[in-house]
Amino acid sequence: MKALLEAHDIKKAYRMGKLLVPALRGVSFEAKEGEFLTIFGPSGSGKSTLLHLIGGLDRPDEGEIIIDGFNILEMSGDKLAELRLTKIGFVFQFFNLLPRLTALRNVELPLTIAGVPEKEAMERAKEMLTLVGLETRINHKPTELSGGEQQRVAIARALINNPKIVLADEPTGNLDTKTGWEIVQLMKKLNEEKGQTFIVVTHDPHIAETADRIIHIKDGLIEAIKEAPRGNKP
Amino acid sequence: MRLSRILAMAWENMTQRKLRTSLTTLGVVIGITAIISLASLGEGFRLGVKERMEQGFELNVLIVIPGSFTSGLGSFTPQDVANIRENVTGVEIVTPIITLPQAKLNNTQTNEGLNAITVGAVNFSEMSQIFPDRFIPLTGELPSQEENDTVVLGFRTCYLNDVTPVVNVGENVTLQIDDSVPINKTLQVAAILNKGGTSGITNFDYWAFIPLNAVPAPINEKYNIILVKVSDPEKSEQIAKDIENTFENPYSISILVPIAFMRQVDRILNFVQLFLMAIASISLLVAGIGIMNIMTVSVMERTREIGILKAIGAKSRTVLGMFLAEAVLIGIIGGLIGMFTGYGVSYGLAYVLSSFMQPQQQQDTIFRTPETHGMNINPVFSPEWTITAFVFAIIVCIIFGLYPARKAAKLNPVEALRYE
Repeated sequence: MKALLEAHDIKKAYRMGKLLVPALRGVSFEAKEGEFLTIFGPSGSGKSTLLHLIGGLDRPDEGEIIIDGFNILEMSGDKLAELRLTKIGFVFQFFNLLPRLTALRNVELPLTIAGVPEKEAMERAKEMLTLVGLETRINHKPTELSGGEQQRVAIARALINNPKIVLADEPTGNLDTKTGWEIVQLMKKLNEEKGQTFIVVTHDPHIAETADRIIHIKDGLIEAIKEAPRGNKP
Repeated sequence: MRLSRILAMAWENMTQRKLRTSLTTLGVVIGITAIISLASLGEGFRLGVKERMEQGFELNVLIVIPGSFTSGLGSFTPQDVANIRENVTGVEIVTPIITLPQAKLNNTQTNEGLNAITVGAVNFSEMSQIFPDRFIPLTGELPSQEENDTVVLGFRTCYLNDVTPVVNVGENVTLQIDDSVPINKTLQVAAILNKGGTSGITNFDYWAFIPLNAVPAPINEKYNIILVKVSDPEKSEQIAKDIENTFENPYSISILVPIAFMRQVDRILNFVQLFLMAIASISLLVAGIGIMNIMTVSVMERTREIGILKAIGAKSRTVLGMFLAEAVLIGIIGGLIGMFTGYGVSYGLAYVLSSFMQPQQQQDTIFRTPETHGMNINPVFSPEWTITAFVFAIIVCIIFGLYPARKAAKLNPVEALRYE
């Protein structure tokens, strides 16, 4: 399997007042097509920063990130936005749905931005919501949905544009254990069915171990990359 | 992202915050209303004033006076009149007037005095052609030029009390002038003129007119005024210049050009109108600042939303477009409503203003307006002003919306997502 994502010696520091706080101090790894990866580490280890960088939301200070052949350091803001639109799907800890839009409209949003005609967008969004098990909740607004349901909407939104990579930042961090586990199962299922690469950031070892490979990160450095202990079977 | 969807989303956003949107739009509405109503009322006022002045001045009649008001008056000769008639183009009628000072007019039978301020010797047919609206007999008929023993009386000279005249048509009056060339004549009243009012500088209601041949030599060839009727008032200035040039010394005469006066007044009114518009525009600028204020707050409130949109792939210019679309929609809606309220307010204000200018009980002075009707201001809506105001509203909205929209577009997605 070829590498869909390559990160070479990424460094990133944040300015906090007068202090320059290093978040990543030279991180290199790659993700293969169809792989289910977890980035595991304690809070403050730099794993969210890493996810933002490989998702093209931010730029590294040093290093190189190549997503599906595109070097994001060489891309303009608009090109990066297009890359995020077409090749990357995001799932966040706090769901980040637009509160005034229904589940359906939230899922449609990336298609709307991409300029897909309204009717087609609606059809595809309905299909996707059915796939994540929310066919009866499509006209509910986020406030009328449970945390687990909201995260399913967010996953549907992340997948609607058929991205190559889905990046999830602590997707279970705001959910109870049972619901969190269901969300992980859903992502695993979609990963198997659709063959999209999933990279999930978590500090929960139980969830980390569901992956094909686990990237252990601490203090901005990769400690170890481990193959799945349970042979990729949750 | 398609423009229609950007507009639809902007519209959704606006309707989610109805009160805020309405108040912001209200600012634009007030601005446009102020501009449109001031423009249309200003234009209406200008036309009203112009109409009034056209009633008061015969714009097509130039008044030529020998000498000047300040350096003493001379007189014209028949040759001067002929020169103007023959050498100046654009001239329809040229007629001389001899004014006779210190004249006393009495009813020959009753010896009752007439109220004639001025006795003018004129050519009746030419006068009635120059002043077709004023030189109209109330009773009697204008005499032909040959007669030299008739008189035509202005309304006020004999109707001292509006009811019974001091003298009737067909009766005689005695004209007595004790000047260097004394005149003592009995004249038959041929006509009494209708109320005509002030023309330019004098009020013919207080004049008595006698034929030019009734004036004895040598003053019968010393004209005090030449009236020149021009075919096109717009060319008055050129014609006045040509008239001056028929004289050996162009500076020896004065010419009153009513339209020049009108133009000056028009310029002043123009300036006043522009000034009013400038003030009205300030209200639109204030509305613009209101938009900027609200949108800046809105961008801050929606920081997280902007972060989400960017994370899922919205380009900066898409975000910019979404916020600008809101500003433009506010401009369009505010502009449209403002147009209608502007029309309404114009008519309302015109009604109120007009009722302030209803006719007053006029004092019977020499100088008075021809008809004592009130002045009506009718708002005049020009499509140019309406469109300009509308476009101005949208431009103001775009300019003031641009800063917050750019602020939104430039947000860093990671920081925006972290924003609480």
